[in-house]
Amino acid sequence: MAALWAVSGLRPRPGPASPWSLPPPPRPAKSSLWCSRTESELRVLDMAASAVATAASKGNGGGGGRSGPSEGSSARKKKFPGPLATAYLVIYNVVMTAGWLVIAVGLVRAYLAKGSYHSLYYSIEKPLKFFQTGALLEILHCAIGIVPSSVVLTSFQVMSRVFLIWAVTHSVKEVQTEDSVLLFVTAWTITEIIRYSFYTFSLLNHLPYLIKWARYTLFIVLYPMGVSGELLTIYAALPFVRQAGLYSISLPNKYNFSFDYYAFLILIMISYIPLFPQLYFHMIHQRRKVLSHTEEHKKFE
Amino acid sequence: MTDLSPGWRFWMPRQGKSCVFWTRTPRGDVPALPLQVEPQATIAEIKNLFTKTHPQWYPARQSLRLDPKGKSLKDEDILQKLPVGTTATLYFRDLGAQISWVTVFLTEYAGPLFIYLLFYFRVPFLYGHKYDFTSSRHSVVHLACICHSFHYVKRLLETLFVHRFSHGTMPLRNIFKNCTYYWGFAAWMAYYINHPLYTPPTYGAQQVKLALAIFVICQLGNFSIHMALRDLRPAGSKTRKIPYPTKNPFTWLFLLVSCPNYTYEVGSWIGFAIMTQCLPVALFSLVGFTQMTIWAKGKHRSYLKEFRDYPPLRMPIVPFLL
Repeated sequence: MAALWAVSGLRPRPGPASPWSLPPPPRPAKSSLWCSRTESELRVLDMAASAVATAASKGNGGGGGRSGPSEGSSARKKKFPGPLATAYLVIYNVVMTAGWLVIAVGLVRAYLAKGSYHSLYYSIEKPLKFFQTGALLEILHCAIGIVPSSVVLTSFQVMSRVFLIWAVTHSVKEVQTEDSVLLFVTAWTITEIIRYSFYTFSLLNHLPYLIKWARYTLFIVLYPMGVSGELLTIYAALPFVRQAGLYSISLPNKYNFSFDYYAFLILIMISYIPLFPQLYFHMIHQRRKVLSHTEEHKKFE
Repeated sequence: MTDLSPGWRFWMPRQGKSCVFWTRTPRGDVPALPLQVEPQATIAEIKNLFTKTHPQWYPARQSLRLDPKGKSLKDEDILQKLPVGTTATLYFRDLGAQISWVTVFLTEYAGPLFIYLLFYFRVPFLYGHKYDFTSSRHSVVHLACICHSFHYVKRLLETLFVHRFSHGTMPLRNIFKNCTYYWGFAAWMAYYINHPLYTPPTYGAQQVKLALAIFVICQLGNFSIHMALRDLRPAGSKTRKIPYPTKNPFTWLFLLVSCPNYTYEVGSWIGFAIMTQCLPVALFSLVGFTQMTIWAKGKHRSYLKEFRDYPPLRMPIVPFLL
């Protein structure tokens, strides 16, 4: 929206008698509006960028959330969550980290016990459902304002995860043995462990560079991995949905309404095509900003 | 790493009428082509002058403001009356391609009118081929078509002859968003109402009569409010006044509500939903209600801010509740 200007190329004409020889415009006072960020502001930006719990910036999917300067300035305008909210958020993020660690450990143990990586879903089904559904709380956090993120974006991200867990994997029992399920569960597990520990450390103002690096780098592999797993699972579920007429209603009926879940799932799959590249490249862009920021930061120190 | 669009500065020497425009660039301040401007110039005139040197930014696209993060200046503001000293700094922002409100309204309302009729006449490829150009045997379907078409014809006529818009234009991308919404929902509703397997309302003629009564009352109410709002504002002006009830009983809703036009609009769609007993219509009403509530709350807030003596009993859209 803000237009970048083409310089007209003119310089002030010399000559004291000329009405145009006004004194050069006074340089504005050095303020955050005009010049590059000062030290303290850089730090605030860094914190704000990391503390922002844009669910869309899950390692699995970067969101349309803006990071860097604009979030920094908006974080500076809003007050940070108070001590009670911070304590609650720390507890929440620790619990979620622990939960996803449980899932990770469950996967490894099941793999070692079974000797193969097929049908591992059953061994972590309950904690997966519990902790992924628990992420719905994050929408609430955004809604009440203790997390400076967009409610719409967060809802979108969390609901898509919950949709996959309940409306696809849980509802269509035949896909639970598919390998694609393991693909996205693994991707989600690693992503979420890093993401929640990232938030925990950020809230405690003590973010190890390794976690920040991991969050903004591993997504490069994990995000496509997760998306592939999800798409393959939905695709595998299609024939069973068609057969059972799952969640579908047809005419005629009292409310003159129809819904074809099969068509709906296909629409969902198609919607990945515009969304995935946008989110992916947004995360790459974020990565460049955040990680190079830290480089500058370190130089000053 | 500034998050500001570079703006241009504008100097107004105390005793002269000549002004110099400077542009700020990453390399420093550079004057644009100097222009002569009266201190009594309005923002609209300045915008026109600006367009002469930068033709790609026509006036509707320009947002000028005194503070980069502040509100846009209005076209009627006079430069001298603004809180500036001898040196006035104006910041420019490009609002993007603009399109007139009238154009958008006409397009977004003509669509549903036309689309519904496509489904009503069962044009080929919408339903199975054996139903092409057939007609429904339910009288409520014909009534629904009349009501729906009447509603959109009314809207088109109001856009052409009744409404007085505060803003001339809106961003171009809005037309795509708005048309998708209106046309999409119209097609979705029309598909079910005109479907060969349509089921008429459970309570039969009673339900339809009641729903028709609600619909007609709300349409009349909505029209009355539009006329009352039009009469508040003389042609060509952009004045804002508190709307009050008039002799027309439909306008008495102003006693309870800031935006009775939205109230009546939701009422009409609820009536239509009851008439057709169609879930997509109910969903459309719900979405519309949500959007109109947001608008009504905004309008209510700006009324409260602008007018000290605003009647306290009024709620934004639903009497006593919302």
